[in-house]
Amino acid sequence: MKTDEASLQRLMALAQQGDGVAYRTVLTACQRWLLRYFSGRIVAAQVDDLVQDTLASLHAKRASYDPTRPFLPWLAAIARYRWVDQLRRTYRQREDELHDELVGDDHEESIAARISLDRLLGYLPERQAHVIRLVKIDGHSVAEAALRSGQSEPLVKVNIHRGLKKLAALIESE
Amino acid sequence: MKMKTDIEALVADLQPVRPVEPRGGALLAIAAAAVAAAVVIAWQGLRPDIVAGNPHPMVMMREGMLLVLGFASLAAVVASARPGVGQSSGGWRWALAAASLFPLTSIVLSVASGSVPEEDLYSVNGPWCLGISLGSGMLIGAVLTLWLRRGAPTALNRIGWLVGLTAGSFGTFAYGLHCVSITVYFVGFWYAGAIGLSALIGRLVVPRLIRW
Repeated sequence: MKTDEASLQRLMALAQQGDGVAYRTVLTACQRWLLRYFSGRIVAAQVDDLVQDTLASLHAKRASYDPTRPFLPWLAAIARYRWVDQLRRTYRQREDELHDELVGDDHEESIAARISLDRLLGYLPERQAHVIRLVKIDGHSVAEAALRSGQSEPLVKVNIHRGLKKLAALIESE
Repeated sequence: MKMKTDIEALVADLQPVRPVEPRGGALLAIAAAAVAAAVVIAWQGLRPDIVAGNPHPMVMMREGMLLVLGFASLAAVVASARPGVGQSSGGWRWALAAASLFPLTSIVLSVASGSVPEEDLYSVNGPWCLGISLGSGMLIGAVLTLWLRRGAPTALNRIGWLVGLTAGSFGTFAYGLHCVSITVYFVGFWYAGAIGLSALIGRLVVPRLIRW
């Protein structure tokens, strides 16, 4: 079945009415879209979990979709909300071991995702965007990021914190 | 394989849902504001000039401004329940800028005259204004917050401010139907204080209640 924007809009409207077949098609298409969307936005090892979290959120909040409006902007808003939430949680947990794999299955899509991410990070001051890239996406430790960026470790933490806060505020405004 | 299983679990859990309607949230908030106004009128009484059908110009101006601010921020709140990249609902900013003319005018007049209007700042009606406005606002804010939990708001802090702003605007509107004062100082200090406090409470309380 085709899963372009118009089809997704129609299928999601059916899913809101309880149509399981339509819903399965929507979720499968969303899963593919989310895998592409999150690849390059977080460390590769966390992508699957984040896709699952986002699908669960989509399920819990499916009533918030307006069937008269395009589907993908709604999915993108939910995906970004979960993404920023994940970044915050990861930061709070101060994980010591982050993985640095960036490349997904499709090289072109990974590049496209990276460009999109760069555009979003472009809204931040370079000192904040740089350390977020180093720690949150490339998987370096705070100490390594401090060495590479020339910022002190406390400053790296502050800039990550402030940058993530700004990203959260940008969720609806981009 | 695990993802496929998870999708099947979500499909198995599927129940029909009614799409969230911003109009429903707006009507609930307006109903709560109407209840608050009715309680204020029944308890404190309506201004005599309103009863006579000939309200003082200041009363019309402040009540009109509060309604504009309340509706503009309410529109932003209920729109936020249905997320979507690229949406914007910024009319409340202009309404807030217009409403801030009251406190700004008070400050300018006070500075120009070189005196603080003590009868308005220390008015016995001031704490009543604050208490009744905030009490009414609590009802309106609680109804809006409960309704928002059905939706998927994504900019939680901003929505917290806006819920407080909506609640404060409608709450002070309700009190204004009774309020005996007609000075710009009273509005600029006590009304603005009640709205500002309500917005602050909204910012502090609402995000944690609507997080998902």
